[in-house]
Formats: sequence, structure tokens, C-alpha cells
Amino acid sequence: MKRRYFINSLLTGCIAAPFTLLFRQSEDVETGSKTLWQIDPEKCTHCGKCKTECILTQSAVKCVHQYASCGYCLFCSGYYQDKRARFDTAGENLRCPTDAISRTYIEDPYFEYKIDEDKCIACGKCVKGCAAFGNGSLFLQVRQNICLNCNQCRIAIACPSDAFVQVSPDKPYLFKQLQKDET
Amino acid sequence: MIISIASSVRFPAPEFENHTLPVMGLESYISDATLWRVLLLSIFLMISGICFHRCRSRKAMLLVCLAGLLVFGFLFKACPCPVGLFQNVADSVVNGQSISAGYLLLFTIPLASALIWGRLFCSGVCPLGAVQELISLTTIQIPNAIDRILRMLPIQVLLVSCVLAASGALYPLCYLDPYLPLFTWSFTFPFALLTIFFLIVGSFISRPFCRFVCPYGALLRFFAIFAAKPPSITNSDCINCKLCEQGCPNNAIFPPEDQTSTVLHTTGRRRLSLLVACLPLALFTGGVIGHFSAPLFAQLHPDVSLVGDLQADRQTSATRSFALTGESLARLQAHAIRAQNKISIGMSLGGMLFAACIMAELIANSRRREHDKKYSIDSGLCLCCGRCYQACPLEKIHVHGTSEHEK
Ligand code: SF4
Ligand code: SF4
Ligand code: SF4
Ligand code: SF4
Ligand code: SF4
Repeated sequence: MKRRYFINSLLTGCIAAPFTLLFRQSEDVETGSKTLWQIDPEKCTHCGKCKTECILTQSAVKCVHQYASCGYCLFCSGYYQDKRARFDTAGENLRCPTDAISRTYIEDPYFEYKIDEDKCIACGKCVKGCAAFGNGSLFLQVRQNICLNCNQCRIAIACPSDAFVQVSPDKPYLFKQLQKDET
Repeated sequence: MIISIASSVRFPAPEFENHTLPVMGLESYISDATLWRVLLLSIFLMISGICFHRCRSRKAMLLVCLAGLLVFGFLFKACPCPVGLFQNVADSVVNGQSISAGYLLLFTIPLASALIWGRLFCSGVCPLGAVQELISLTTIQIPNAIDRILRMLPIQVLLVSCVLAASGALYPLCYLDPYLPLFTWSFTFPFALLTIFFLIVGSFISRPFCRFVCPYGALLRFFAIFAAKPPSITNSDCINCKLCEQGCPNNAIFPPEDQTSTVLHTTGRRRLSLLVACLPLALFTGGVIGHFSAPLFAQLHPDVSLVGDLQADRQTSATRSFALTGESLARLQAHAIRAQNKISIGMSLGGMLFAACIMAELIANSRRREHDKKYSIDSGLCLCCGRCYQACPLEKIHVHGTSEHEK
């Protein structure tokens, strides 16, 4: 039975081996290990798969609004349908199927748009509208508090635009580029 | 301070007098339960170790099962689960994909416990195992010969999954896992059939997924063979009543070697030498089969299938997006070819490894086990369910006898 213990101790060594992977990572990535899934908003083509492919019943992806790049448009193309009858808040004129976007009057002629996270189902319709005619300030992000952080994100494989990347827990969200000029 | 957007700004942001931009506050949306998982996993393994090796009680094991199902299955949604993490490790080794320390711990702790106590993880800490343990109504024993062949499948699944994960294609186990939809409660069409199939089969055959599919089980099996304190039936004299063999639904108990047969001795030895002589040939065949099956698996790689679609002029969502991104076809093709090469090399190596595993199993089986005079447990196959403890008549005397003696 000596041989058995010999092999046992050898295998114990093997178990420690994977941990060397940690050292390799910390060397070449200054931002830490990239272990969370996220959508690169610049690459996403709002195909709608984020809604259906997530292993959760309610997708872990949600729409977010980057207020700083929003034009506060009166006729928001993320808010209204392309073929709307009137610019009012009747359901048939609005893009969002779940009425997750609400708007508040700020000052003439500007409105602020807000996403109700509980209602958003990540269909990407508003994102498409905003990207087509607006500033692209609405985009989809994986909500790290809902996401299970699967071994491999199901949506990442289904995503036709290869928009899924991995990010480090220190910077878990990806925003659109802002250019700041000090004046 | 004026903020303007680098990419398309159709409508510059207005400057408000008395309105401040709301904060997005996304940074507060972060939670990572990996540490909790690691902690709970260790505690559960400890508890099931005590239940199995100290109390030797089937009822306690079932309780652990139920708790494991609730905590790791329904609370943590069985994802990410140690069962699939070998793919992350393979990906990390080959592609330099990041993997967190928590995941590495989740992956190695069950293996370490298998090296000490046998496959305790499978006894009920694994949510997939727990589902199967709890839904098995009756158990039909599969004939040993068929079981021997079927139990080679997990090794194959392990090798193919490793190759595909390491090539950057996809993690196949995440799709093969038939119990995951039960926890996340989202069923998609072809995979739901798998779920239904395994649920039905699992109600009359014990642990079909664990024994015939699970690749992590194959790893655990390898480690558990060399366990320092493996599961064992009666330490005292076995009376060869066969009750444990009949009681084990997982074909993990092997009968004592027939000590009286001397006739087979020479033929057995001849068979053994023949097997050893065939080893190089088997390795070669395995490698060739692996090499020629590689193109089939390469189709699962997104880049390879995208190139195929583009060349055949098929319209898919991927090709449409590809046209939108305006990336060069040459670069994509280069990526695809690299992936194909990776898969081809991986499958050849995998084929050889699989052949080696088959030969090892055959050789181990044709060896004469002189000192096996009692029924014993194959610790690699035992899923630590505790049924045999319940079945053994000596066990009852033993456990109860000692406890009375202590009083
Ligand atoms: S699957 Fe990809 S392209 Fe489609 S909406 Fe999600 S991130 Fe965007
Ligand atoms: S349109 Fe779709 S993505 Fe946009 S807020 Fe509504 S549900 Fe979310
Ligand atoms: S990692 Fe899993 S839970 Fe998170 S978005 Fe992807 S599929 Fe959904
Ligand atoms: S064999 Fe696999 S699925 Fe079954 S209990 Fe073990 S790790 Fe879980
Ligand atoms: S504990 Fe006993 S009955 Fe259960 S799998 Fe192991 S050997 Fe078979």
C-alpha cells in the first residue's frame, strides 16, 4: 500500500498546480484579473439576444442611461416608436414593450429619460432607436448584482457582434467614451 | 466644463441652470458570492465527511443531499458550479483567460477532498448529484459489462470539453448540464429535452448523469482511486453475503477474487501481455480517430462557423453583424484557422489519452487481485451514497455494538 500513498502525495501536488495560473495573470494585466462578463457598448448591435439567451428567466442584462451623453431630446428616438401617431405617452407610440422608460420635464424643450430597472427586459429596442437617431446614450449592460457570473456567459456565445468582454471586478461596467474639455 | 461625446453626437447635451445630472450609480450594483460558495462548500464537505465516515448513515447522507440541493442548487442556482470549472481552467491554461482565486478554490477543494475521503462531493454537495439522488425512486442495476463501457463516456466528455473550451469555442458542459434549467427555471428548446430525458431515466437508474456523462466526475474518480481514507464496508470479516453488492445501484462494489480458479492463470497472463503489447497501436488509433473527428467539433467554434457562413453566402445574425463591424475577412479567417489547428491538435492528443484510459482500465481489470478476499468498494466509482452501509448485516452489529459498548 506504500505505492498508493506515494501517488496520493503526488496528486496533492497536482492540486496546487492550477494556482500558478493566478501569478501569470497578475503579471501581465495591470487592471487585475478580468473575471466578470460585460457588454462593450460600442460593439453591441442591439440584436435582442440579450433578452432571450441569458440562463436566467429574467435576463441579467439591463438597459442603462448615460445621462452625461444624452441630448435630453424632446422627441427621443429611444422613447418613441418610428411610426408613432402622436408624440404622447400612449402605449402604441412608445418603443419600450414594458413601459420601462419614464420621462420628466426639465426645462423647455428638454426631457430627462429614466429606465426602470425592474421593468426592463433587455430587448434592446430603445437602444437601437437611440443609436439610430440619437446620441447612443442608452445601452445595455450586464448587471453584476443579478448576473450569476457563469463559467461562460451564454449570451457571449450567442452574441453575433462579439460584444461580450471580460472585465475586472474593480471596473465592472463599461461606458461610452466621453471627451472632457476643460474650459 | 463642457462634456462632449467623441463618437456620434447628434444632439449636444444641453446646459441646465438648475438641474444636475443624475448619477448612474452602477458601481453599487456589484455582488460576488464566490467567497460564500467556497466557505459553504468546505463546510458541506466536512459535514458529509462526518456523516459518511463517522456516522455511516444513509439517512444523514440524504439530509446533506437535501441541504446541498437547497443551498447550491436553488440559492446559488448551480452556476458557476465546480462541475463546469475545469473548462475555465483549461481555457486559462491554454489561452491565458483570467480565472479568479475563488473559482480555483471551488475547483480544487472537491478534488482535494476526493484525495482524502473519496468522492464526497458527489454524495450530495454537488447540486446535480443531489437532484439525481433525490429523484431516484427505484434503482435498476445495469449489467456490469454495459456499465463498464458506459462509464468510459465521462472521460470522453472531459477530453472533448477541455479541447473545445481551450480552443475558445464554447464550454460544452454548460449546455450538456441537464439539471441547470431546473434551478434557473429557464428552458430552451433542444436542451429541455435533455432535461426531461435525464429526469425520466434518473427515476429508475441511479445517477445517470453522474455515471455516464459528468466529466468532473471522471476527474474526481481518478483522484478518489488514490484516496487516503476511502469508503469501505465492514472492517471486520466480511461473510460474503453479497447484500452490499446488490444494494449498490452504482456498480461500485466488486466481489472477491475467485481464489479457487487456477485454470485461468496462464490465459490471464497471456491476455495481460497481449494488452501491453497492443498499447502503442491503441494510442495511435486513438490519435488518428481524434484527428479525423476534429473538423466536426471545429464547427462549434463561432469564428469557424462564421467563415463557413460567409463563404456559403448564408444570411445569419452573425454575418449581418460582421458586415456592420467592417472587420476584414482575412483576419477572421486567420482566427478561424488558428482555432481549427488548436482543435485538431487537441483532439489528436485527446484521442490518444482516451485510448490510454481504455487500455489502463482493461489492464487493471485483467490483473489478478490475490488479496481481495472480501467484498470491497471501488473508491473511484463509489458516490458515497451510503446504501451499502444500510444493507450490510455486519455493519449493524458493528455500529450498534460499539455504541452500546461505549455506554
Ligand atoms: S447579444 Fe450582443 S449584439 Fe445582441 S444585444 Fe446583446 S450585446 Fe448587443
Ligand atoms: S426598450 Fe427594451 S431595453 Fe429599452 S428599457 Fe425597454 S425593455 Fe429595456
Ligand atoms: S453570465 Fe450568465 S447570468 Fe450573467 S448575463 Fe451571462 S448568461 Fe446571464
Ligand atoms: S459525478 Fe458530477 S454531477 Fe454527479 S455528483 Fe459528482 S460532480 Fe456532481
Ligand atoms: S456508498 Fe456503497 S452503495 Fe453507495 S455508491 Fe458507494 S459503494 Fe455503492
